[in-house]
Amino acid sequence: MQGKPVVPLTLAGVAALVLVAITLVSVWSLAHPQRDPVGNALAAMGARLDGVRSWYAQGPVEASPDWQAMRLNVPGGDAARGRLAMVEYGCGACHVIPGVASARGTVGPSLDGLARRAYIAGVLTNAPGDLTRWLMNPPLFSPETAMPNLGVTEADAADMAAYLYTLGPDA
Amino acid sequence: MNGPSTLDTYGSQTSFSSAGTGADATLVLTTAMSVAAAVIFLLVMGAVWLAWRRDRPGSVWWIWGGGVILPVIALGTLVVASTFTLAAIGRVDDGAPVIEVTGHQYWWDIVHDPEGRALRDANEIVLPLNIPVTLSLKTEDVIHSFWVPSIAGKMDMVPGRINRMTVTATEAGRFRGQCAEFCGLSHPLMAFEVVVLPQAEYDAYLEDLRSEARDADTAQLARGRDVFLNEGCIACHAIRGVAEGARLGPDLSRIGARATLGAGMWRMNVGNLAGWIADVQDMKPGAQMPSYNHLSGPDLRAVAHYLASLK
Repeated sequence: MQGKPVVPLTLAGVAALVLVAITLVSVWSLAHPQRDPVGNALAAMGARLDGVRSWYAQGPVEASPDWQAMRLNVPGGDAARGRLAMVEYGCGACHVIPGVASARGTVGPSLDGLARRAYIAGVLTNAPGDLTRWLMNPPLFSPETAMPNLGVTEADAADMAAYLYTLGPDA
Repeated sequence: MNGPSTLDTYGSQTSFSSAGTGADATLVLTTAMSVAAAVIFLLVMGAVWLAWRRDRPGSVWWIWGGGVILPVIALGTLVVASTFTLAAIGRVDDGAPVIEVTGHQYWWDIVHDPEGRALRDANEIVLPLNIPVTLSLKTEDVIHSFWVPSIAGKMDMVPGRINRMTVTATEAGRFRGQCAEFCGLSHPLMAFEVVVLPQAEYDAYLEDLRSEARDADTAQLARGRDVFLNEGCIACHAIRGVAEGARLGPDLSRIGARATLGAGMWRMNVGNLAGWIADVQDMKPGAQMPSYNHLSGPDLRAVAHYLASLK
């Protein structure tokens, strides 16, 4: 008999606390319209719903992705930085590289149109990961190559690969 | 020693900022002459304007004053000023330590001579800060001209003569110099760097020139050293402790420590070294060194890595 009122009392207490909390938050939100957390949360939810609605409104995707462009996309590679890095590492002593200062070497092949080649140095497929790894350590993949390991960092190699893939992708 | 090369530094080859006593005097004279020339030009233009406005001929004294007296004063002042400047630049301090610089097609042989023992280097002249040094300028073949715009020069290097010039570098850093007399096909590719170091670092540099080159301590570097010994490189190039005596080409004992390759023209790194060795005649047409394109790929890589390791 003594335990019976406990549950309703607890429920009433919790409900009272929730009401008090809602009241406090509402008053605070009204007093600070710029930092209104409730309004912001609702606005964010609305924006998300807008996104979903517009996604449905567009209907099925007609155009397929540009696989040709994506094939040459080097994750994390910055072509502009790569162009400068190629000067630093002295690539131009052996290669003709369009757009790189004084890169007119004839020791190795011209890198013009590299984006259209099928293989790198005849040993690796011409894909972003392979090109990046080749630039970091050529003798690892082609033991008889004349191209030295230039001590290229992975970040620099990705940048240079990104630049090289700007050479002749659509010609 | 290891600053950015002059290839990365804008304004490392300019006479408009002086870092040596010779360049200082030249800069003052140039500035004074330019200002005086501008003033005289304005005066003449003013006189022309006056003559244009007048409706009758002026006094004959204008002719005497502007045509005889003024030029005599101006040219006389110029002669005196430039004579004193030239005397100051050309002064040779016999007590100063001597650095011998010999021009070759198309590189510079450097010999430091602290106590009568020749310490050889190439294409990079290290000078002590604020200490007068006498440069002994010679040539092995044709006429070259020594010019470091920020520090000193120009002075011709004439066959059969030794021209001397005492310079004092007044600022630490790297400065770029250039052959200033047409000397052949690759004359524009005949540059060099001057590195000005405080006395303590300069002494350490000379100590480095006394010691043997760094040892080849990996299998690949040892292979590179063997290529250097067996493929004929030693006919022209010396590396202290490995193959000494040859003086036809630059001393390579500390080539990897230089900031540039090919006499101030390319960044020093394995890539440029390999390309240089394989195809010198493409990078520097007319150089005495033949293109070593008969080396196998692994040999070329090994010798490039070996040279880059010599610091």
